[in-house]
Amino acid sequence: MNEVEDAQLLERSRRGDEGAFSELYRRYQAGIYRYAVHMCGTSAGDDVVQETFLAVLGQRGRTDAPRQTVAGYLFGIARHIVLQRLGSKYEPFTDSGDDDISEVASGALTALDNLTRTETIAAVRAAVQSLPPVYREAVVLCDLQEMEYAAAAGVLQCPIGTVRSRLSRARALLVTKLSAVYATADARRQ
Amino acid sequence: MKESDGRRSLDTALRAIAEDEAQLGASVGIEVRLLAEVRNIAVARRRRMVIVVCAAAAVVLLALWIGSQRFLPSRSSEARVAEVTTDFMPLAYSSVPSTNVQVVRLAVPRAALVAFGLTPPEPLERASADTVLADVLVGDDGLARAVRFVRPAADQEQMP
Repeated sequence: MNEVEDAQLLERSRRGDEGAFSELYRRYQAGIYRYAVHMCGTSAGDDVVQETFLAVLGQRGRTDAPRQTVAGYLFGIARHIVLQRLGSKYEPFTDSGDDDISEVASGALTALDNLTRTETIAAVRAAVQSLPPVYREAVVLCDLQEMEYAAAAGVLQCPIGTVRSRLSRARALLVTKLSAVYATADARRQ
Repeated sequence: MKESDGRRSLDTALRAIAEDEAQLGASVGIEVRLLAEVRNIAVARRRRMVIVVCAAAAVVLLALWIGSQRFLPSRSSEARVAEVTTDFMPLAYSSVPSTNVQVVRLAVPRAALVAFGLTPPEPLERASADTVLADVLVGDDGLARAVRFVRPAADQEQMP
């Protein structure tokens, strides 16, 4: 998306331009909604979207463009609201960068190919949901929202290396969880 | 199976979730509520603009008014314009030289007008029936040098 155009939409929205706000909302509401749902549950989606855009409109005194991209700025606000909701549930773990788990379970994971699409989605979604918030966040932003690492680092307010490390750890945890799912499904078939 | 195959399977599965959720979004009511907020902002902004414009216009008008007041005659000169006076008429000590002469306004008997050969006008008010106003030129020695008679402009046509 055109960043200059995004910044103009943001500025015009703050001045009360309905058309600009509608366009800005159309571009980003779905992504913010999905991020909120993955982080806090379905019931939080609407609330987080509303609070995020209200916060943007509440900053109508601001005329400067955000330091990061508009997407990063909006997701940053959404994340702040999400963290408030999660409270103590969001505790950053030590990023050990331990990928060994994925090596152990990667063989089992390829069996996902044998599941139906619906089964796969349900299994992976459940696995993502069970990740600790700090890792789930990395997966949601980088894998599900397809946000670039640099942009995700801006939203998460951490170095790019930390994003990579959390993502790697999250994927390793997913592999472990999904291998168990596959084992169950396989046993059921037999 | 290789690890890369496992990774690819996970990537594929995550992409499937992303595709599955592509249509998800906030309910329509949220956008309606937010658009109402945007409209409120627009209304408040217009209101602020009107107030600012009115305030600016008021300041400009005030400045213009203050500027125009400088070129208007003062209240005292206005009062003077509203009066009709005779010429100064010399009195007995008019020939006595004086360095500093002041004008003193007095109420003098109407008979004084007659003494100078002037016809007294009809009085405007009962209280001033027996007197008329006169400006007397008084020197620093206390001697009166000249006198003129004063009356309001309303009586102008009656002033000789």
